[in-house]
Amino acid sequence: MKRNPNAFLNEEYGELVKKSLDWKLRILETGSTPHSVVDGKEVIMLCSNNYLNLSNHPRLIQAAIDASKKYGAGSGSVRPIAGTMKLHMEVEKRLAKFKGTESSLIYQTGFAANAGLIPQLAAKGDIIISDELNHGSIIDGVRLTKTDRAIYKHRNMVELEKALNNADKKYNRILIITDGVFSMDGDIAPMDKIVKLGSEYGAMTYVDDAHGEGVIGPDGRGIGAHFGIEGQIDVEMGTFSKAYGVVGGLIAGSQDLVNFAYNKSRTWLLSGSHPPAVAAAQLAAIDVLETEPEHVKNLWNNTNYFKKELKSMGFDTGDSETPITPVIVGESSIAKELSNLLFGEGVFALPIVFPMVARDKARIRTMMNAGLKREDLDFALEKFEKLGKKLDII
Amino acid sequence: MQSRIGFIVNPIAGMGGRVGLKGTDGVLKKAVELGAKPLAPKKAQEMLKEFVSNFSKNEGIKWFTCKGDMGSNELQNAGIKDIEIVYETADKNTSAEDTKKACKRFLDLDVDLILFCGGDGTARDIFEIVDNKIPILGIPSGVKMHSGAFGINTSATAKMLHEFVNKNLTIGDVEIMDLDEDLYRKGEWNIRLFGIAKGIVEPTYIQVGKSFYESVSDDEIKDELTEHIIDEIEQNNDYLYIFGPGGTIDYIARKMNVDNTLLGIDAVYKKKLVGKDINEKKILKLLDKYQNAKVILSPIGAQGFILGRGNLQLSPRVIKRIGVDNIIVISTPSKLVHTPVIRVDAGDKTLDKQFADLEYIMVVTGYRFSRVVKIQTNNF
Repeated sequence: MKRNPNAFLNEEYGELVKKSLDWKLRILETGSTPHSVVDGKEVIMLCSNNYLNLSNHPRLIQAAIDASKKYGAGSGSVRPIAGTMKLHMEVEKRLAKFKGTESSLIYQTGFAANAGLIPQLAAKGDIIISDELNHGSIIDGVRLTKTDRAIYKHRNMVELEKALNNADKKYNRILIITDGVFSMDGDIAPMDKIVKLGSEYGAMTYVDDAHGEGVIGPDGRGIGAHFGIEGQIDVEMGTFSKAYGVVGGLIAGSQDLVNFAYNKSRTWLLSGSHPPAVAAAQLAAIDVLETEPEHVKNLWNNTNYFKKELKSMGFDTGDSETPITPVIVGESSIAKELSNLLFGEGVFALPIVFPMVARDKARIRTMMNAGLKREDLDFALEKFEKLGKKLDII
Repeated sequence: MQSRIGFIVNPIAGMGGRVGLKGTDGVLKKAVELGAKPLAPKKAQEMLKEFVSNFSKNEGIKWFTCKGDMGSNELQNAGIKDIEIVYETADKNTSAEDTKKACKRFLDLDVDLILFCGGDGTARDIFEIVDNKIPILGIPSGVKMHSGAFGINTSATAKMLHEFVNKNLTIGDVEIMDLDEDLYRKGEWNIRLFGIAKGIVEPTYIQVGKSFYESVSDDEIKDELTEHIIDEIEQNNDYLYIFGPGGTIDYIARKMNVDNTLLGIDAVYKKKLVGKDINEKKILKLLDKYQNAKVILSPIGAQGFILGRGNLQLSPRVIKRIGVDNIIVISTPSKLVHTPVIRVDAGDKTLDKQFADLEYIMVVTGYRFSRVVKIQTNNF
C-alpha cells in the first residue's frame, strides 16, 4: 500500500486531544492589558509576561508609529545583508549602556538567541553544566551541540562546584548555563556565586534572564545589576518580549562576545531583522525604564501585596522572590480545576502541572502586572480565597 | 479499566529482626521463643488504610488474595470488600511454600501487579515463581529489605500503588537481593543479587512541546547509555572494562554483542568479552594483564548501592587497583528517582573514606549526559 505522507499529522494531533495535552488557544480581543477580554470574557490578566504594562505605554506606541511612517513596515532583509538599520544599532548601543556591559546584540526572539548562540559556544571535548530546571529554549540550544552535558540540582552551588571540579580535568571549555529567574517557581539563580565559581574554574557563564530583564535589579536592569556584578557575567541573555513589552531576544556582554555571536549564530544570520516599529519601540522601552522608575516600583508593590495576602490566606507560594508567584495546590487535577474556576470568575491564570513540576507540586502560576490597581488585586485575591476554600486547598 | 491486583502477606516476615536475628527464614520457632510478634499484618493494614483513605479510594480495583492473615484479613480490616480468595493454606503456620503456591495462582489469574508484604526472603520466593512476568511491589516489613521492589515506607508504597493504578507509573527493572545463606552459615555476610524482576518505576520524561512531555521507555534510555559506553570504550582503546551486575549493564552488553552475565561480573577489552562471571581472584589476574582499567557500575537494590551489595567480587583490593576515579556509574533516570543517593559499602575503611570525601559522583543518565548525585558511605 502506498504510504500516506500526511496521516501522522492528524493521528498525533488526535492523540494529544485525546489526552487533553493539546493547546487550546485563548483569544485576546483586547491588547495585553491588565483587564483583558479573553474568549469574550473580561478577566484580570495574571498570565501575561507584560510585567510593566509597557506594551500599552504611549511612548512605545508613538515610537512604533513614527518609525513605521519614517522607515516603512519591514526591514527588507536579514541583518548581515541589508537589514541592519541605524535604529537597530542604536538599540544595541543603548541596551549595553543600560545593562552596564561593553556591547549587546539583538536577536529576533529569545528562543533564537539560545538556539543560535549556545551551540556555537561549546563543541566536542567541551562540557555544558546546566541547572536541572532550565528553560526549554536552553535545553534545545544544548541539544544542538555535540558537547557533553552535566546537570546539577536546582540552584545547588555545592553540586555545581562538584560538576566543575569533575569537568576541570577532562574538558577543554566549560560553559555554565542557568535561568536567571526560574519561570515555574519565580526564584532567582545565585548568579554572584555562579560567576565566582566560573572564574575559579575558568568556566564561561551564561544566564537566561528572560523573566528578570526589566524586573529585577535597579530600574529593572536585570540580574547582573541585581547582584551588583554588571559586566561580569560572560553572556547575559534576555528578551524584549516580556517586561520590555515589545518582542525580540538579546545578549549583553563583551565586544568579543558580540562579534563572535553575530558571525556564528545561524538563527541571527538567517532570519529577517526586526521591523523599524519593533526596534523603535525597544528603544522607547529603554527610555521609559531609564526615566520612569514608577513602573518597576508599581510592579514590586503589587507583587509584595499579592504574595503577602496569598500567604496570609494559607496558600503555599513556594520560594518565589519575583513577580512570578506560584500558588501550589498539589495534584494536577486540582490545579486545572482551580484555573478553570478562576477564569469563570474573571481571573486568568494558567495551571502548571506534572511533569512540568513535581507530581505533588502542581500550581497556578500568577504573573504580576504593574498596571493592576489595588482593587483588581483584591478582586483576584477574593476569588482565590473563595475557590481555595471550595476546593479544600486552604 | 479495572486493575487486577494480587495481594499477599507473609505474616511471619520481620519477626526475626525484633529479636536480633538476621531474618526469619528457617528460624521462626526460635524467634517466637524469643518473644517475636507478627509485624507484617500490621504493616500491610497500615499501608492499605492509607491507600484507601488518602489516595484511590480503592476505585476500579479487583483484589485477589489468600485467606486469613496471608491477605484477606488485612484487606477487610482496611475496609476493602471486593476481594476474591484464591488460595488458602493447609497449615496454620505459613511458609515460603504458601507464598509460592499463591503466586502460582496469581500467575494463572494474570494479575497486573502483585502487592506483597514481607522482606527480601518473601520477594525472593515470589520472584522464583513469577520471574519477570508480573511486576511486583513490596510493602516493607522484613528484616532485610535490599531488594528494589519495596517502597521506602508504607506511605510511599500506598502512593506508588495509587500512581500505578492511575497509569502514571511504568514497569521497569528492580533487583531481587538477599543474604547468601550458604555464605552466612560459614560466617560471611554477603548480600547477593538473585535476579532482576519487574517493578514499578517513575517514567523518564523529555520535553517535546512547550509544556508537553513525552515519556521515554527505559529501553530507549538504555540505548542511549549503550551509545555512551561504546563511545567511552572506543575513546579508551587500551582500557579493560569491568562490567558490574544488573539489568542496565546487561542490556548494554547484549547490545554490544558481548555474551556477559546478568548477575555476575564480566570483563571486556576492545568490545570483546575477556572474562565471564569472574571472581575477585580472576579480576585481579586480569588487572595484572591489562595496565589500565575502568569499572562500570549501576545502582542496585532499594538503597542504590554501587558497591557492597550484590557485587562483593569487586573487593577493596580490586577497587583500589582500578582507582576510584575510574569508576563509571550509569543509571536510568527512573532509577535515580527511586534512589536519589548513591550508596557505597566498599568493605574497607580507607576506601569508604575516599568515597565519602568525594561527597558527590557524576552519574551518566543518557548519551553524553550526566548528573551530580550525592554519595553516602556506610562508615562516614
